[in-house]
This record gives sequence, structure tokens and C-alpha cells, in this order.
Amino acid sequence: MINRRHFLTTVAVGTASAGVLAACGTGSSTSGQTGSAENPVTINYTWWGNDDRAERTRKAIALFEEKNPDIKVNGNFTDFAGYWQKRATEAAGGGLPDVMQWDLSYLRDYGQRNQLLDLSTVNINTDAFEKSLLPSGQIKGKTYGIPTSTNAFAVYYDPAKLASLGIAEPDGSWTYKEFNEFLTEVGTKSNGAIFGGTDYTGVWWMFNIWLRQNNIQAFTEDGKLGFTKDDLKKWWNLTADLRGTGAIVSEERVTQLAPKSPFGSNVTATEVTWDNFMAGYLADSGAKELKLAPVPSDDPDNLGLFLKPSMLMVASAKTKFKDAAARFIDFMVNDPEVGQIFKTSRGVPASKTQRDGTTFEGTDKLVVDYEKSIEKYLKDAPEPPIVGFGTLEASFKRIASDLNYGKLDINGATDAWFKEAEDLIKQNA
Amino acid sequence: MTTMATPTQSAPDASAPVYNPKSESAGAKRAKSLAFHAVALLLTAVVLYPGLWMIASSFKPNSEIGGANTSLWSSNFSFDNFVTAMDGIGGVSTLQFFTNSLVLALGAVVGTILSASVSAYAFARIKFPGRGIFFGMMIATLLLPFHVVIIPQYIIFQQLGLVDTYIPLLIGKFLAADAFFVFLMVQFMRNLPAELDEAARIDGAGHVRIFTSIMLPLMKPALISTSIFSFIWSWNDFLGPLLYLNTPEKYPLPLALRLFVDQTQSSDYGAMIAMSVLALLPVLIFFLIFQRYIVEGVSTQGLKG
Repeated sequence: MINRRHFLTTVAVGTASAGVLAACGTGSSTSGQTGSAENPVTINYTWWGNDDRAERTRKAIALFEEKNPDIKVNGNFTDFAGYWQKRATEAAGGGLPDVMQWDLSYLRDYGQRNQLLDLSTVNINTDAFEKSLLPSGQIKGKTYGIPTSTNAFAVYYDPAKLASLGIAEPDGSWTYKEFNEFLTEVGTKSNGAIFGGTDYTGVWWMFNIWLRQNNIQAFTEDGKLGFTKDDLKKWWNLTADLRGTGAIVSEERVTQLAPKSPFGSNVTATEVTWDNFMAGYLADSGAKELKLAPVPSDDPDNLGLFLKPSMLMVASAKTKFKDAAARFIDFMVNDPEVGQIFKTSRGVPASKTQRDGTTFEGTDKLVVDYEKSIEKYLKDAPEPPIVGFGTLEASFKRIASDLNYGKLDINGATDAWFKEAEDLIKQNA
Repeated sequence: MTTMATPTQSAPDASAPVYNPKSESAGAKRAKSLAFHAVALLLTAVVLYPGLWMIASSFKPNSEIGGANTSLWSSNFSFDNFVTAMDGIGGVSTLQFFTNSLVLALGAVVGTILSASVSAYAFARIKFPGRGIFFGMMIATLLLPFHVVIIPQYIIFQQLGLVDTYIPLLIGKFLAADAFFVFLMVQFMRNLPAELDEAARIDGAGHVRIFTSIMLPLMKPALISTSIFSFIWSWNDFLGPLLYLNTPEKYPLPLALRLFVDQTQSSDYGAMIAMSVLALLPVLIFFLIFQRYIVEGVSTQGLKG
């Protein structure tokens, strides 16, 4: 039998040795900055995505290792939701991977807490990037993220459905009034079998674009709201007459169809969202062809459109291999062969070198052509969104759906959203 | 025990004289039984519908799952989803995910059984100083939400260099960190007559002997319920493996399942559902094998004394 004193000594020794081990863990961090072909350094790279992305990334990593024999890349992946739980825990524990795929809405949060490496201090070539795009990876003069690829907002439509209803395809330029009339026409001509679309006023980014069309900033420099309650009321009033008609699919129906979108379920003829959802919609709906048109605007010269980084590459501030991490990021965003591997599955390649080196076919070509067609309307990409932006975007959607359920009127909805937004901004200030 | 069970089976004759069964029973009894079965079947159907939906959907093409498609069966019946699911993800075969899950789940069962039963014996039968306080502290850990300890725990394992191994996921099981199971076994042991181990002590048995030869065999029902629960909990655990495992080759099934659905790209619901069906099988089999022991456990409890 174990006697008590012996047991206590064992515990004490165990605790002490744990401390010693911990000290060893931090002590070794100064060595191993660069590697050689015989003795390569290993960096960890992590991303979110499905099987398809995993396969493409593995190919890209293999290519990188072949060209850079002094660096080994250890790739890991999880799904999008789990990805952020894991990063939050790792950041708290000081164990973020060396290089990570990143989403714009988390950039400010991690950047402000000094978890990410300032990439302007390392050697990454950004000459081939649009100058208007780079600020979206920068916070207070520091570059935390390099965009891999871009996406833009668009109106999706299904030409086959329009043809069967005898409705002409949009010509690429419409006012909000014309767009509303178009949605109504789909609803009436199909006798309710197909709805015009989902309520576009429930989409935060569409609201953001409308604000830009009216030369209003969504957020001010110091992270406050840049628009007033009246602006939001005006926005939600745009579709006031359409709610509950065949022009807009009812909120009950949207909830029934979840997790699929009404457009992917062939219930609506149009959908307003990012242009990189194309492959997903094609797979969900089984449609032969889907097309993209620019968003409506009352000012034909100002569509309020911009390119947003669909994802970025970042490095951990604590990485021991800054040089290797920078070379890997540079390779992933600039190399034409990497573009050839990913095509548009990450979005349209942001770097011109990579874009020009990639051949686009089929759906890929549609998306690339769309972004080319709106080129002349593009303005600067927005700054990285404020901390807690994800919550704001979600509450915007939820309150707009309460509006569609008829639980709130426009005044009530506006007050409810402003209260949530102001509370959140105060909390994170 | 067997002699006690038999009398209940000859019950019907005893209640006969109360009313005249011949004139009334045949029709009424039948109607009653029919109604009972109809209601029972209806309730079963409601409860089992999600399972049925899952199995039916696993044979449908991806574009016909969910959304506007409300029919249960598709005319495009195929096994394609299972083929995709078995192909694996990102170069890791599905069999590997199954093996990982199985290693983790069996490790959890063995660890919990060994550690929880020994700890429970100490709490229930050995009067050591501070027993009350330790017992209270153990119960207190039940009240501590997992999310509170995640980060400190992660930091410890990270500093020890044990991240991306199964050790953080299993070590707690071998150290009786699951207070629920310890508590379950303590309560079970307290119900066992103390005279049994007193008798053994008089015969010269020490704690080890009493534990292995007297307590363990009597605790079989508690051990079985513990195994079932810890197997299922480990099999379904998502957050633990998500935080501690980095290499896809080490992922268990719940992590792999999520990889078929990605909001930022196309989602293969078909393959995910097919894999869910496959992932359900081991748990179902494990439960079917052991569930009769649970029932047995309850009946032996009732006969004690």
C-alpha cells in the first residue's frame, strides 16, 4: 500500500518536474531561425475548408517544398466554425501556428492583441496587387494580412427560370425601383411558384454598398457607426411594399429551407451575395447555368462596389521562422502555379501575376469576367471591420428577419439594431 | 433469484373473479390493446423520424437533400454518398478516422473503469482524514463548466509539449477526472452491504483483496453503465479533439464529419449524412450488446437484502 508521505513526495516531485519541463519549452526558442536542404525547418500552416480545398492545398504545399528544399510545411485543417474556437484557445495558450489562412472579420481582433506578425517587416512582394485592396489587410499602419484572392458583390440569377417565365435577362444596369419591379414580375408571372428573391435589405453588405452609393461611411475612423437611424429606416423601407408578396420569399420558408439558401433550393430566381458562392449554388440547385449582374444603384456612375479579400494569409507574431513563413505566404499569394491549382476556389486570385498565370474555364471564367466587368466602378476596399463585426452582421440579419415575420415594424427594428450595435461598440471600445 | 421471478407470470387467473370476463373482454380488450399499440407506434415514429430521415437521405443525391425537397425517398436511389464518404478527406481514409475514434473511446472506457472504481472504493469504504472535504471537492468539479478550464488546461498541455497527442484527451480518464462516474460508483458501493467486506476482513483480506474479489464483481452493473456512457461521450466528443489534435491523420469521426460541410465553399451534405450513418453503427452495436446488462443491473438492485 502507498503510504501518505510517499504519495505527497511523488506529487511534489511531479509538480516540480512539470515546471522544469515548461521552462525547457520556452528556453529553446532562440535557435533554428533558418534551415538548409539537409536540415530543413518545419513550419505549421493551417486552413479551414472542405475535402476539395485540402486536396488543392496539399498539391500547393508539395510544389512549395519542391522549390524550397530548406522548408517543410506541415499542413492542418478544420471546418470554419471549429477553426475559430481552436484559434482562440491557441492564442490564449500562446500556440498559434506559424502561417494561417485568415478571414477579414477576425483580423482586427487578433491584430490589435498583437497575435499576428506585421508582414511589412518581412519580405513579401505585393507589387502585383491592386493598391486599393491592400489597406483591407492593414490596421493602424501595420500589415497583418495579405489577401490571397478577392470577391465582389453581385446579383445571381438563373437564366433558365427567367426564360421559362418569359422575362428578359437583366441588362446589367438597374435602379432600386427597376430591381423591385423585376422581383415583383417574377412573383406574379410564376403565380407564386418561384419568388423574386430573398429580402435584400436583410443583407449587411448590401446595406454597406447602398451607403457607399450615397457617399456615407458605414464605420468612422474611430470605430463608431457612420450612419444614422434615418439612413437605416430609409434602407429597410426600400422593400416595405414587397414583403409578404411573391417578390420576396417569406421568412418561414427561408427557415424551413435552412441550411440551404432559397436560391440553392430553386425557390427564388435571384440572390444578392458574394460572387464566390457560384460553385456552391450550382451544386445545391443542380442548375446548368447561373449568371451574375451588378447590384442596383440609383446613381449609374457609383455602384458602391469594391473588391473584398475573400481570405488572407497571416503569420503568428510568435513564429520562430519569420523568413520561412514569409516565403511561404509570398508563394501562396503570388505563384502562378498556385493559381492554376486553386483556380477560383479561394476567390479570384488577388495578385496580377497569379491571376494572369491561371487559365479560367466554365464557372471560374464567369466569376473572373464579372469582376473584370465591374472594374471601372470599383472603389477602395473597406478597412478591416470593427471587433465584434460578426455579431453585428448576425444581428442585422436576425432583426431584418423579424421585420419580415412582422414581429417588428421598421421603427422598432431600427431602434433594436442601434441599441445592440451601440452596446457592442461600447463593450469593445 | 430465479425462484423469485417466476410467481409474477401466473398473475392473470388471480384477478378473474372481480368481473365477468367472458361477456365483455374479447372486444373491449382487443380495442384497448389496439389503441395502446397504435399510440405507442405513433410515438415511436415521431421519436425515430430524424433517424429515418437520416438513413433515407444518405441514399439521395446531394442536390435533393434538404431545401425544398420534402419527400423521404428519392427516385435517384444510389450508394454514391457512401462511396464518397469512404474515400476519406484530404488524403486520410475514413477507416483511419474510425480507428482513431475507437482508440479514443476504448481508452476512455478502460481508463474510466480502472480509475473511477478505485477512487470510488476509497471514498465509500476507507475512512481517511479529509474524506469529506475531498468528496465535496470532487462533487464541486461537477459544477465547473468545461469551458472554464479549457484555456488553463490547454496552456499546461501546450507547455508540456503534449498537444497533438492523445494524452490530453485520455490522461483525465485514467486519473478519475470524470467526477460523475466516481460519484455514480460511490453511490452504488454505499448500497452494497458493509457486512460483506467486514466478513472478508475477518477472514484476513486487505483492501486490494476486498476490492478485487468482492466489490468489483458486485459492481458489474455500475461498471457496465459507466462503460456505455464513457464510450458514447468519447465517441461524440467534438471540442476536446478539436482543440488538442492538429494533424488530420489523428482526427476522430466528429471532426471529420464537419469537413464535408463548409459554409464558404460547396457543402457535400450527402457524404456527411452517409458518414453519420456509418458513425452511428458502432455506438448502436455497443449499446445493443450491453443494454441488457443495464436492465439486469436495475433488477438486481431491486432484489437486494
